[in-house]
Amino acid sequence: MNAQLDSFKYDDAIVRKFLVATFVWGLVGMLVGLIAATQLVLPSLNVVPWLSFGRLRPLHTNAVIFAFAGNAIFTGVYYSSQRLLKTRMFSDALSAAHFWGWQLIIVAAAITLPLGFTQSKEYAELEWPIDIMIAVVWVIFAVNFFMTIARRRERHLYVAIWFYIASIITVAILHIFNNLSLPAGPFKSYSMYAGVQDAFMQWWYGHNAVAFFLTTPFLGLMYYFMPKAANRPVFSYRLSIMHFWTLVFMYIWAGPHHLHYTALPEWASTLGMIFSVMLWMPSWGGGVNGLLTLRGAWNKVAEDPILKFFVVAVTAYMMSTFEGPMLSVKSVNALAHYTDWIIAHVHTGALGWNGFLTFGMVYWLLPRLYQTKLYSNKLAEVHFWIATFGMILYATAIYSAGVQQGLMWRAFDETGRLQYPDFIETTMKLMPMYWMRVAGGTLYLAGMVIFGWNILKTWQSRPAKYEEPVIQAAPLERKPGESGKNVFAGFSVAGHRRWEALPILFTVWTTVAVIVASLFEIIPTFLIQTNIPTIASVRPYTPLELAGRDIYQREGCFNCHSQMIRPFRYETERFGEYSKPGEFVYDHPFLWGSRRTGPDLAREGGKYNNLWHVNHMKDPRAVTPNSIMPAYPELLTQKLDFNTIQKHVDAMAMLGVPYGELIKDGAAIEAARTQAAEVAADIESTDPNLTGLADKEITALVAYLQRLGVDIKKANEVAAARLPAGGQ
Amino acid sequence: MRLSDVMGQAGLAGYAEIALILFVLAFLGICWAIFRPGAKPAQDAAARLPFEDDPTGQPEEETRS
Repeated sequence: MNAQLDSFKYDDAIVRKFLVATFVWGLVGMLVGLIAATQLVLPSLNVVPWLSFGRLRPLHTNAVIFAFAGNAIFTGVYYSSQRLLKTRMFSDALSAAHFWGWQLIIVAAAITLPLGFTQSKEYAELEWPIDIMIAVVWVIFAVNFFMTIARRRERHLYVAIWFYIASIITVAILHIFNNLSLPAGPFKSYSMYAGVQDAFMQWWYGHNAVAFFLTTPFLGLMYYFMPKAANRPVFSYRLSIMHFWTLVFMYIWAGPHHLHYTALPEWASTLGMIFSVMLWMPSWGGGVNGLLTLRGAWNKVAEDPILKFFVVAVTAYMMSTFEGPMLSVKSVNALAHYTDWIIAHVHTGALGWNGFLTFGMVYWLLPRLYQTKLYSNKLAEVHFWIATFGMILYATAIYSAGVQQGLMWRAFDETGRLQYPDFIETTMKLMPMYWMRVAGGTLYLAGMVIFGWNILKTWQSRPAKYEEPVIQAAPLERKPGESGKNVFAGFSVAGHRRWEALPILFTVWTTVAVIVASLFEIIPTFLIQTNIPTIASVRPYTPLELAGRDIYQREGCFNCHSQMIRPFRYETERFGEYSKPGEFVYDHPFLWGSRRTGPDLAREGGKYNNLWHVNHMKDPRAVTPNSIMPAYPELLTQKLDFNTIQKHVDAMAMLGVPYGELIKDGAAIEAARTQAAEVAADIESTDPNLTGLADKEITALVAYLQRLGVDIKKANEVAAARLPAGGQ
Repeated sequence: MRLSDVMGQAGLAGYAEIALILFVLAFLGICWAIFRPGAKPAQDAAARLPFEDDPTGQPEEETRS
């Protein structure tokens, strides 16, 4: 042996910590999901405000994405990076800070989301203090990771590491730019962006969170753990390089496909669609590369649950990445958007790709990390089959639900009228499918329990003290003449390796790919005025309506109600005039929503009287039999916090909303009280039993709902008044 | 004059084609780096990296391409 060899040990203790956290949060996140799914069939399960559907749904998504999948990523990254780079993690202290910091963020999320603190942007709900914590912990992770790369003893960066680098960089960029907001209290903030621009930023973030949190890091894990489990190298390393660069270049453009037929400019939506369709190719290239890694080992799949999990994971990846481009095609999207089809699509990805890849990886890691045999291979098999069956039940039910509701919304009868004019009719049809989802979710969760039992029993048979093998590897020597300056030397073979060997340059190029793509799309949306024509009659919300909007956000109403009518006859017949970009210029944040579990509310203002809204919020089923909306009787008794209104109006004014005189000390509060008294008086005049609502939250919420979408009608009234008599 | 007015009148639309050309060139460059004759041995070595941490667990088969 060479005397120059370095000796070191891998830090597997940190991997074990992340592994346990993966399981624990996975169980919690999926349990919350099951509860939320059950609430949709049994609305009486919305027992207390902090456990109502609108607050639990974001908790479920955040827990499974950032807590379950997040910890799974870190488990795999910490295990594989040390081995691929032939070094211990740079700093045990930073590793520990990353681990405990991340768990603290999750706990903070689990407390604040049920309390109703939310920015109301999907997968970016957490309020600003937690956002800052996330940024800090992510930087800690990044420093630890990049310093580990700097200290590596293997010159070439294996493709998995590339995927990790791209994920770390891009998630940081996405997180920072989507969460730019102005704090208006310890747990309240308003997005810097408004309306169309906010929607655009959110789905640039939202789509790329799927790309760079749920896809690229997991692809890195696939490229490491699948070859290990199959005991053969990846089918084609060339394909993996191609897979990497094409994904990094293309993914970032695809976000606008979440906003087809909305008030987003059409060019942006078309661009998003085209890039999404192109993404199909690299995604399937990568999927095929994963599956063919099992070449000659298919006989092993029959007896090895780990390979079974991996095969289904990659198959689910291929199904979702075929379906994603398909859903991004505008005509398909017209049917699928706002329906359960999207929920089904997401769950194929999350349960199949992220879940199964995590299970396979953890089963592979368990004997290695706990230095003992896996407690039961048979239970792992049971877990596999029960989870697969649960997933199939879930997917079958929710796909059917989505397509069925989408078709019902657009059905016209022979007289040219909507065939199902009552929204609730379309909801009731879904109930059998929703029960099937509950059954599927229960099976998947049962699989998790078996998984946990297997982890626990394996852990119990660990040795008294873990062996820590001493690893020896030669230090990395700098080749003569190697320099970081010649970036374009990358296109010769030796140069290519040299280029990869310089993680800083590699990282810079990845960042450039991501940022350039983002800027090309974002700058025009923000800076070319013709994209958002202004509408003179659209005015800011009154202080009371703003307070109502805050309550709307707190209760998570946007989780089930969209505020965006698309320009289709079946939408305008049902909900009213289609939404215009100029209507949302004061919406910090935008509240367009992504799923219509209930009807759209963009033109809710003036549809019903104030009393209807009060009764409906108090007990939705008293007004609409069979409604599955949670009841909010507490809004009739909880006092509206008038004192914060001034601060909130001031914050909005700072963001450029023209509040004029209302930013004078106390003026907004005064205005809110006056309007509240009027609304309350109107309610009392129609139902004398409803007294004393002037200082209650319901009044603000009703004021807000009555304001939705009415400004544009004023424009029509003005125009109509100018027409000669007899004109229409 | 606001920044949005300046941007709106700057006639930037033509730069989209330039961006397209740059992206295609980047793509071709990556293809060249990957499929260039002589690149394969380095790639095969790279594909074996996951197996280097365990001298007993060498892969049963080589990479195909």
